[in-house]
Amino acid sequence: MTVMNAPATDTPRARPGLAPSRLVGIALRELRAGLSGFYIFMACVALGVAVIATVGTLSDGLRAGFERQGGVLLGGDATFARMHARATDAERAWLAAEGTLSETATVRTMARRVDGEEQALVELKAVDAAYPLVGEVTVAGTPFAEALAEPGGAVVDPVILSRLGLKIGDTIRLAEADAVVRATIVDEPDAVADRLTYGPRVFVSHETLAKTELVQPGTLVRWRYALNLKDGAGASPAGLAAFREKAEANLSQSGFVIADRRDPSPQITRTLDRLRQFLTFLGLAALIVGGVGIANAVSTFIERRRNVIAAMKAVGATSGTVLRIFLIQVLAIALIGVVLGLAVGLTAPGVLIALYGDALPVRAEVAYSATTILVSIAYGLLVALLFALWPLGRAELIKPSVLFRDEVAPDTVWPRPRIIAATVLIAASLLGFALAMSESLRIALYFCGALVLVFLVFIGLGTAVTRLARRVPRPRWPELALAIGNLGAPGGLTRSVVVSLGAGLSLLVAVALADASLVEELTSRLPKNAPSYFLLDIPKDDAQELGTIVEGAVPGAHLAEAPMLRGRMVELAGRKVEDIKPPPEAQWVLSGDRGLTYADTLPEGSTLVEGSWWPAGYDGEPLVSFERDLAGHLGVKIGDYVTVNVLGRNLTARIANLREVKWESLTLNFVMVFSSNALQGAPHNLLATVSLPTGTTVEAEAGLGRAVGKAFPSVTVVRVKDALNTATEILEKVMVAIRVAGAVTLVAGALVLAGALATAQRRRVLEAVVLKVLGATRRRVLVSHMLEYVLLAVIAGLFAVALGGLAAWIAVSEVMRIPFTFSVEAVLKALGVAIGLVLLFGSLGTWAVLRARPTATLRAG
Amino acid sequence: MPQPIIRLADVGLALESRAGIVEILKGITLDVARGQSLAIVGPSGSGKTSLLMILAGLERATRGDVHVAGRDFNALDEDAMALARGEDIGIVFQSFHLIPTMTALENVALPLEFAGVAGARDQARALLADVGLLARIDHFPAQLSGGEQQRVALARALVPKPKLLLADEPTGNLDGKTGRQVVELLFGLKQKSGATLVLVTHDERLAQQCERTIRMEDGRIVADERSVVAA
Repeated sequence: MTVMNAPATDTPRARPGLAPSRLVGIALRELRAGLSGFYIFMACVALGVAVIATVGTLSDGLRAGFERQGGVLLGGDATFARMHARATDAERAWLAAEGTLSETATVRTMARRVDGEEQALVELKAVDAAYPLVGEVTVAGTPFAEALAEPGGAVVDPVILSRLGLKIGDTIRLAEADAVVRATIVDEPDAVADRLTYGPRVFVSHETLAKTELVQPGTLVRWRYALNLKDGAGASPAGLAAFREKAEANLSQSGFVIADRRDPSPQITRTLDRLRQFLTFLGLAALIVGGVGIANAVSTFIERRRNVIAAMKAVGATSGTVLRIFLIQVLAIALIGVVLGLAVGLTAPGVLIALYGDALPVRAEVAYSATTILVSIAYGLLVALLFALWPLGRAELIKPSVLFRDEVAPDTVWPRPRIIAATVLIAASLLGFALAMSESLRIALYFCGALVLVFLVFIGLGTAVTRLARRVPRPRWPELALAIGNLGAPGGLTRSVVVSLGAGLSLLVAVALADASLVEELTSRLPKNAPSYFLLDIPKDDAQELGTIVEGAVPGAHLAEAPMLRGRMVELAGRKVEDIKPPPEAQWVLSGDRGLTYADTLPEGSTLVEGSWWPAGYDGEPLVSFERDLAGHLGVKIGDYVTVNVLGRNLTARIANLREVKWESLTLNFVMVFSSNALQGAPHNLLATVSLPTGTTVEAEAGLGRAVGKAFPSVTVVRVKDALNTATEILEKVMVAIRVAGAVTLVAGALVLAGALATAQRRRVLEAVVLKVLGATRRRVLVSHMLEYVLLAVIAGLFAVALGGLAAWIAVSEVMRIPFTFSVEAVLKALGVAIGLVLLFGSLGTWAVLRARPTATLRAG
Repeated sequence: MPQPIIRLADVGLALESRAGIVEILKGITLDVARGQSLAIVGPSGSGKTSLLMILAGLERATRGDVHVAGRDFNALDEDAMALARGEDIGIVFQSFHLIPTMTALENVALPLEFAGVAGARDQARALLADVGLLARIDHFPAQLSGGEQQRVALARALVPKPKLLLADEPTGNLDGKTGRQVVELLFGLKQKSGATLVLVTHDERLAQQCERTIRMEDGRIVADERSVVAA
């Protein structure tokens, strides 16, 4: 035997290791086959990233606009606002010493025709000659300053003129004063700071306001002092911060709500932040639903690359090398999706602002922030990795022996522990990132929890249906038998379809059902004894006379009244309000001023749940009754002290008891009810409700309005139905926004669905060809496919209805505590959408299936 | 006498199938000397390919000792076996198994790249010149004929300078003339590199070109012959 010149040693050669650049090179070479099969993957990533980037950029633009126009929106560098009490001479002197000062007063009232025939609720704003310190009021008619400089002039929102049937030059009656409308408002620069809640704006001078006699002790007037700081002190954020600190120190007991140019309306800023968070979460939901598409695409890709992977291993690639190569490919594809999504997300806001910018309270700008871009990229890549890693783990497990013999891939393959660990790590990072980026930890946790739950439920349901379909006896009808067989087939569509459609549809069903319940509650299910009118600013001593007038206008009408003051919370249980971080649902209590009242007895519509009510004629330390849920959110309990600033002075009271309040009864109720001795000495007016007997005619109602207006010009009349209609309109707008956002999730689901159907296409063509060979007509193949799709859609739709219904029920009856209304229409719509989508995408594939030529397909194997 | 490059002692392979456990190899004992050429012949299902897979480290023996190129395969994990292949074992498949998205040059350079060798492409180019494909190095597998693909596969198997070259029916997918050309090349390259060659074949004429032929039946070696026409 000849011994060949074999290498002298068997010692393994040293391996320099595979450089990352070389890995990338191999990965990209291997991608030359093209991106087909990855379009759904890219679309899923792009869609979610586009939503997150659009939301972020739009919100950045609004914030930028808000900050840049801060001075104009606020009407100065800083403002000081307070209910009831005008600035004292000392306060005014302090403010005036800091720069140029402008004083405005806003109050709700009724604007009436002089003949008393028509009236409208308006927001009256009295301004001085210095107003506005920044920007200008754009008007049609006599220039603004001129219009108000002449005695008895008014500048009004054009809506008021059309409502009262008046024109420029006509006179309107404002309580005890008449004013001539000299111009109409086109743009009010600081409208955001003086929020319009109840009605359109009427501008008058302080002199005219005085003539209305509306400003009485206790009237709900909001006094606001705008200040342009001297020597340019307000030009820099540091200067503003320094001034603010000084102001807070000097006016600490004044009860002023201070705002500065940096954040002209904390309320709007907070709303924007919350909206951004909510919409970002929806983008994330869309990304995660799309994750199913990503996982399917990677799974199919790896399956099709079995031989390539095996060949790589046969020529010396380790599992780790193979994993890295395919991971690089997946990341590259995800990056393409991210870039596409970013391209859309960064251009869409410009288009949206150009189209709908006028509808926003602030002129939005297109502003790009590195944070938004990085957050979008991070979410896109993290979600892509989360869903790609598991199927990628299979690449590692492919044995090179498949090159020698066909091996059947087992149904369920668990990746190696390191892949499982990495997946868990990425999921944790995603969760951590979402929590870190979110304003409220609790909401973020709820959202993530709900998302995981929805996913698990639908994956579980998909698996259950697959198993069930395998077990049920096959019906005699062959088409149905085929359809059910396909539902249970390994690698079938069931799980993908149920998961992909499930999440989006559940959200839509939940929104639709919650919406239905809310609208029902607001429009048709008013409590039997719900009042028809609210009357505001009734002088304390006129209550009896008002009752007589009401009874005279509509016999049987019931008048209920309560003292009404407004005050700002200053301290809770020894903690300054500024230092308290309440959950989002309780933030409103601490921001700005609240209505306060006092009573000797437990108010109607309230139930005492803890502690005891003070006896009639109680004259000890001031006591207060707190609403139970809010007390819980704010962390106060019986025995704690609450300090409120009323009329510029602090009042401290001890919490004596907790009440449960049925807000939906619309009876007069307040978060805080004080013992009478605490507040009855303070100047205040009354708030009243009027409940009309059933069958009161529209004419009688109009007569009541006129009679009250005539006798008490300063009393503001709010019709409950109008207020509810406004609330319903706002609700509908919010619901439309949520629906649009929810639809994005459904689009992601549709993408996944399209991907799943495309993947199954080859198998279905082969199956159809075999059926044709065995004598099945095209009609039979078509019917079996349609039956399968309808079954899938109905299953996904019904699960979505069940889960969405459950979510809506919890939100409506447990969180909002209103009766749940089941809407058949919402359910039918959800099923319709599901069937429509599955049939749409399914029939595209079925067309190709029906056209397939048996010989070509069978030869190709 | 130098250590044999392959030393198998009582090697068995049992695989699980739906019908139960199937014994594919039943106590194979075999030594192959360095530089030798060995043909494994036998009817379908006799265990030829399984034996080759054990030699390649693609399948793990369920019993017995497997020593290849100085390594105890039973002591290596999957990745260590992959590294061993990358360094010491070249494999030629019946169906070539080139990576369709890579050119001939890239396919041949791949094992060297996996091993982190510098100048991988130059070495690959030189080997492709040896197999007469210098003009086709930028072609993708689909643009090459079957014979050309098998020559690329040969170059890929030989590029890391393996001590052991394994070939599974290397001419099985080729017509007679092309097959003969590939065989000529295979033996020429083996001669040049000094590698040991183990090939599985149905082709008796091809087997006779090897110095030694073992015959398998039902998972056992039933004959071990030295060829008179050995190279």
